[in-house]
Amino acid sequence: MSDTLRRAPALIALYAVLLAYASVTLMPFAWMLITSFKENRDVFRLPPSFVPTMLYGAEPLANYTEVLTRHDFLLYFRNSFFVSTMAALGQVATCALAGYAFARMELPGKTAIFALILATAFVPTEVTIIPEFLLMRSLGWIDSFLPLIVPSFLVGSFGTFMLREYFASLPSEYGEAARIDGAGPWRIFWRVYLPLARPALISIFVIAFINNWDELLRPLLYLNSPELRTVPLGLMRFVGEFEAEWTLLMAGSVASTLPLILIYVLGQKYVLQGFAGGGVKG
Amino acid sequence: MSEITSTRAPGPRGRASVSDPAAAPARPRSSLKTWGPALLFLLPAIVGLLVFRLIPIGWAFVLSFTSWRIFDDIEWVGLANYTHILTSPLSREVLGNTLWFTAMYVPGVMVVSVTLAVLLNNSLRSSAFFRGAFFLPYITATVAVTLAWRWIFSTRFGLLNHLLAQVDIDRIAWLADPAWALPAVAIVSVWKDAGFYMILLIAGLQTIDPGVYEAARVDGARTFRRFYAITLPLLSRSLFFVLILALVRSTQTFEITYALTNGGPNRASTTLAFYIYQNAFVHFEMGYASALAYVLCFVIGLITLLNFYLRRRWVHE
Repeated sequence: MSDTLRRAPALIALYAVLLAYASVTLMPFAWMLITSFKENRDVFRLPPSFVPTMLYGAEPLANYTEVLTRHDFLLYFRNSFFVSTMAALGQVATCALAGYAFARMELPGKTAIFALILATAFVPTEVTIIPEFLLMRSLGWIDSFLPLIVPSFLVGSFGTFMLREYFASLPSEYGEAARIDGAGPWRIFWRVYLPLARPALISIFVIAFINNWDELLRPLLYLNSPELRTVPLGLMRFVGEFEAEWTLLMAGSVASTLPLILIYVLGQKYVLQGFAGGGVKG
Repeated sequence: MSEITSTRAPGPRGRASVSDPAAAPARPRSSLKTWGPALLFLLPAIVGLLVFRLIPIGWAFVLSFTSWRIFDDIEWVGLANYTHILTSPLSREVLGNTLWFTAMYVPGVMVVSVTLAVLLNNSLRSSAFFRGAFFLPYITATVAVTLAWRWIFSTRFGLLNHLLAQVDIDRIAWLADPAWALPAVAIVSVWKDAGFYMILLIAGLQTIDPGVYEAARVDGARTFRRFYAITLPLLSRSLFFVLILALVRSTQTFEITYALTNGGPNRASTTLAFYIYQNAFVHFEMGYASALAYVLCFVIGLITLLNFYLRRRWVHE
């Protein structure tokens, strides 16, 4: 197709379509950003203005400082960081161990276990979330971070699948050599194969971090105390209490997307690889 | 556990594995020593499979035949939940909404993502920028961007109605009008997900041999003919995968609904997944919600099976 594109009219048409759609995808971000730099009274003006008035004022970041400090979003950020990092580490650990065992170790019935792990990933969350909630309730884990972190240390179909493929693709001679040198199974895994899997491990960490940062359902079910709120939950509670405070809300929203955009820009290669490899959540 | 199978053939993958005992048949080791490490490695995954997958799946199935508000006793009701789902006007409305949402979302994401993927499958340097821009909505915080959309949809002060006014379209009460609330959820969902499917389709397009296009061009095939005669058939495997993902996802929308309309006005934008959440965690009707969840599971299974059945007719292997 690229040779037809060299003709100028086709190229112009191509760019027109691409720019038009780019403005559709970027418009909500732009509007969120502009609104976050407005004073509240400017928001309810007609026609809507595209000028971020506060940027020219004495305190351009006033909305941000207010939402982060007076409305406790700094705390929510800390909570989200903690939960997402722990859960992502858990995913990496479990998926690395399981993926390695499925690819390189012998156990009767491991194919069946692997098949079950994959198959049950297609059962919708809606089915499992009710018993999961009842379990957390009977464990007394409600209103703690445990229900948001512990499952990530135990379940991860997508990551397990991805790492199984990855470990299976590495040559078995490395392990043989280490075994002849007297290394046990753990040492072979830890010193030989795990370092080789770094790109896949980073992909899984990044995707798990993003998914957990984004999670709304579980914080909604499990967290009651205001001081435990994660960012998405904090945003929803904020809308509930201050429906008309759009400038503050948009400042909080911009702040909550920034870490993800940063991760995306820094680790774009890993993110795209990971998502193109299936992108199945959980 | 039985004796170790020291004569065991190499695994189904045809690759000798690290601990394959076939190499040393003269020294039989205890089964614990052979399998112990593997068992330890798999322990978290096996516990997780049991505790967070298999047992909940079974438990929810049992619950679906009961009536249980979380604070009362469990009461066995047989198939009553299921017959109620099929007959009550409320759940029929919700199922209708789900169908309507799927009818908007799936064609929406398919058309947008195929168009973008085909347009970006070239070596122009700017394509990397556009790919990044189109994928951005998928990667960013759902609640935050949905709240931005909520503000854009605002009837009086919203950006969208302002832009529509420029082309003489009257104000639409996007989130307050029962006719528009679900389309609004669909718009945000398509906006958010299309870039994700685009990435999957670009990966599929890149496996097509450029020589095929070259041959078609020599034979005088025009751009659109090449799209229909080459791109679509050769892309059909990726299209099939994307279609299934999109269909399944369309039945599971939760975050966007919660942050945009909360299922309202009344129940106008309540779809099945959201209705399950409401029943389970707002009304604490665990039994009924479990039955609804199994209906959802059944619908997803049906979609997938139907697709695999139809696959033979249109997927070009």
